[in-house]
Amino acid sequence: MESVGAFVIGGYAGPLAIVAIVLASALVARVAGRLVRVSLLLTLPIAISVVLVSVFTRAGTTVLFTIGPFDATLEGVQFAAQTVVRLFAISGAISLFGMTTDPRAFVYDLERRGLSPRFAFVAAATVEAVPAMVARAGVIAAAQRSRGLDTEGGVVARARGFLPLIVPVVLSSLTEVEERSLALEVRAFGRPGRRDLLWAPGDRTAERVLRWALFVGLVAVAAGRVAGLVPRTP
Amino acid sequence: MSIVAASAPVVEPVAAPAIRVAGLVHVYPEGTRALDGVDLAIETGELVAIVGQNGSGKSTLVRHLNGLLRPTAGTVEILGEDAAGLRVAALAARVGLAFQNPDRQIFAGRVRAEVAFGPRNMGLRGEALETAVRDALAAVGLAAELDANPYDLGYSRRKLLAIASVLAMRTPIVILDEPTTGQDLRGVGRVRAIMDGLVAEGRTVIAISHDMRFVAETFRRVVVMRAGRLVIDGTPAAVFAQPSWPALVATYLEPPLAARVGARLGLGDTPTETALVDALAARGEG
Repeated sequence: MESVGAFVIGGYAGPLAIVAIVLASALVARVAGRLVRVSLLLTLPIAISVVLVSVFTRAGTTVLFTIGPFDATLEGVQFAAQTVVRLFAISGAISLFGMTTDPRAFVYDLERRGLSPRFAFVAAATVEAVPAMVARAGVIAAAQRSRGLDTEGGVVARARGFLPLIVPVVLSSLTEVEERSLALEVRAFGRPGRRDLLWAPGDRTAERVLRWALFVGLVAVAAGRVAGLVPRTP
Repeated sequence: MSIVAASAPVVEPVAAPAIRVAGLVHVYPEGTRALDGVDLAIETGELVAIVGQNGSGKSTLVRHLNGLLRPTAGTVEILGEDAAGLRVAALAARVGLAFQNPDRQIFAGRVRAEVAFGPRNMGLRGEALETAVRDALAAVGLAAELDANPYDLGYSRRKLLAIASVLAMRTPIVILDEPTTGQDLRGVGRVRAIMDGLVAEGRTVIAISHDMRFVAETFRRVVVMRAGRLVIDGTPAAVFAQPSWPALVATYLEPPLAARVGARLGLGDTPTETALVDALAARGEG
């Protein structure tokens, strides 16, 4: 909701407030350092292009300097700065969610709220498949390096190692998917009907209040934007 | 049929121990102390089994021998040279390591290409490469499968294929991780013959195994690991003798049936079925 808020609110104050909330939450969750690094990594590539395009192509009355045929305008700088702050607020909020939410707990909670078990399983399996695939890729890389594959050499050597690394990852993943689906079917996964969850993530009153507060805040900001009470990016 | 084959080995034999590990400590990034001061020397031509419960440090230890892992503390010398200064690709010419799960390495569409991958990386080409591939496949009993798709082979034969792909590299040191997993009696016999053949050619062979019968009947030296340390190091007769049983039990290993039957009957140390039968025959004659 914070990331949507950052998208809706223009100007500096709103997005900066969201950045402050995200950073404070990250400090409490002890992921602040990692959050800043990941958010910067996510933001920088887009931010650089936004700055280049906005500063030099956005029409404005105050020209700061000129490079060739391009004028860098004050309006362009302001637009770029506001956009970068919003981007950082959005990436920070998304990163914070990823770093503080157990994917399995998230999917179980969605299932508890009525999501189809089949869809919930696919979602959970997809999320869990990533670290499993990374671990498997590590073992495969070790096996191929043991057979002399040079993964520490130059670009050509690394390129030569692509197939021996990727093929076992893909084939073993496909095999595992097939085995897993068979194992699920023989345990009546496809049987229709409602399931009781053996475990559901905790949901404290304070968390519910905070969630509703964020939702109400988001609706208020959106309404304010429509009514012209919330500033928009110039 | 020679597993080393006609051409010269990639690395010349040296006078130093094949492997010398001193004070080896390895701590994984998350803080697990997998090796806690391992000292081990293995001479050229030895046939050594490394046994121990899951998580005892066996795989971590062997991964230091070809540079896949680097010591947190301590040293690893391979054929008299400090492994710290060598890249994995260079160490692969000295130490061949066959992983437990063949499906974690097979990538080629043909058995021939799969087996050729390692020796090709070592620089073998042309006739020498073809000979290395054919010899290795013959050694594991897959000579007729040269042009087969590896995934058309059953698991036990894919396992043998993975071993062949390491044999074809003709390394002076060969490490096999759980080589008998998924093998029937004939397959186990095949693995035993492969290792005996390698040792007969002067190569050093190390295997990780949980199959105590296989260990007792195949190896000349058994190293038992527990919690990142070597706790027993000796011949199968000594390791599986009754005084060692408490240490084995502590690492969740059970002596082979022959050893337990021999001890129960008061026949002394009978780690193998042959030793048990001999002891029974001797008692009958007495």
